[in-house]
Amino acid sequence: MGEIFQYTFMVRALIAGIFSALTLGALGAFVTTRKMSFMGDGVAHASLAGIALAILLGWAPVPVALGFSVIIALLIYFLEKKIKISADMAIAIIFTTGMALGILLLSFYQGYQPELISYLFGNILTISNIDLIAIVAVSVLVLGFLLFFYRRILFSTFDSVGAYLSGLKVWLYDIFLYIAIALAVIVSIKLVGIILVSALLVLPSAISRLFSQSFKSFILLASLSALIIVVSGLILSYYLNLPSGATIVLLGTCLFMVASLIKGLRG
Amino acid sequence: MKDFIEVKNLSYSYGDFSALENIFFKVAKEQIIAIIGPNGSGKTTLLKNLIGLYSPSKGEILIAGKKPFDYRKNIGYVPQRFDFDRQTPITVKEFMGLERCSKHSHSLKNIKKVLQEVGADKLEKQQLSSLSGGQFQRVMIARSLLHEKELLIFDEPATGIDMAGEHTIYDLILKINKERKTTCIIVSHELNVVNKYAEKVLCLNKSMVCYGQPEVVINEETLHKLYGVGAGLYHSH
Repeated sequence: MGEIFQYTFMVRALIAGIFSALTLGALGAFVTTRKMSFMGDGVAHASLAGIALAILLGWAPVPVALGFSVIIALLIYFLEKKIKISADMAIAIIFTTGMALGILLLSFYQGYQPELISYLFGNILTISNIDLIAIVAVSVLVLGFLLFFYRRILFSTFDSVGAYLSGLKVWLYDIFLYIAIALAVIVSIKLVGIILVSALLVLPSAISRLFSQSFKSFILLASLSALIIVVSGLILSYYLNLPSGATIVLLGTCLFMVASLIKGLRG
Repeated sequence: MKDFIEVKNLSYSYGDFSALENIFFKVAKEQIIAIIGPNGSGKTTLLKNLIGLYSPSKGEILIAGKKPFDYRKNIGYVPQRFDFDRQTPITVKEFMGLERCSKHSHSLKNIKKVLQEVGADKLEKQQLSSLSGGQFQRVMIARSLLHEKELLIFDEPATGIDMAGEHTIYDLILKINKERKTTCIIVSHELNVVNKYAEKVLCLNKSMVCYGQPEVVINEETLHKLYGVGAGLYHSH
């Protein structure tokens, strides 16, 4: 078991996994309560445009994608709250537009682009020290934000009219939350890939909901579930020589099915 | 008596669709007024203008001399339906405690006190999703009492509650009005409720049909203008 820690790339992947899991698990509780399960998918897929632009210009993809994700988050907020279209429709528009733009930009690139595949499906071998710093920094920022403003974010999420009447700037917490989700999703892309990253927002929350009695326990259990799924998935993928992203997600699905079965048997 | 709420020539449109036209009325402090009207008559739109969520297309609303947006922290609002994902695990205590983040913070002791006041003190540890319609409304009313608010607005507070429970809810509102000296606005479909509890009634059908004391303004003609039905319905109440 100890041999896994002899490889720097695995140590980096495990640290990145722990931070990403805690952050996406906690954010997932808010995302699912807002019925925005596709938010992660939308941001991740739309970020392809940013990644493609960076690859085309020879820039570092992660910082460009991070900047791009903030714009995506603001656009989703604008479409949903100002143009008054439903959240799922806003996400779908941004999702497909970003993907289309990314594909278009990549068509200008000559030759095979291996780095792109690692963004699409995730590749723990490509997690660099810079990526790790970005993951830890974003996670600390997002978890700090959730911890410090927990009650305000929950109030805006659960009862926006009540929050407004109590004098909260609901729009501000909404925007911060959308940006936090976008940043957390983007830094986790190398771990599980654009295609699968939203599973880390949704699956831990789905498991946690089955057993939680309060919102606090919901968040804690979601983060814990995410942690178990990601760390076990990484270790399993290492020993069985499987793609890490897909292993993590399928392990999460298995855990959800077992949890549902237990819940069902308990009545 | 000095006017507490002044609604002056209020009109509100959703794009090209006019939802409210030229509404004007005044409410004195500590009064209970009822708003009645058929579905789609603009009742909820009027309430949303009163709490400052919507800005009037024309005219203005003043509450204690302020615009609703500036006065909103003194308004308690119990919506007709509180839409939330029933799968979300949140306890009554957590829900009540959400307002603790606002500037008018309240203690956990105060939560117990207001829950007790509305007869919901045993629900504190229950999940919100497990409450019955009546229990839920009690919790919503309790929450509106947390900060000694001066104006309480209830949008059909007895929706989905049986007849016995319905009267308990309205009796509770009356008790709050008397003991806490709050001004209350209630949207209701029940004419017997209006007659029993409200000092004034606003009959709304996009524009104002009437406004005044229920026993004076509610008659066959008013009901016909509101609902297209007449004396039969009125006398049955």
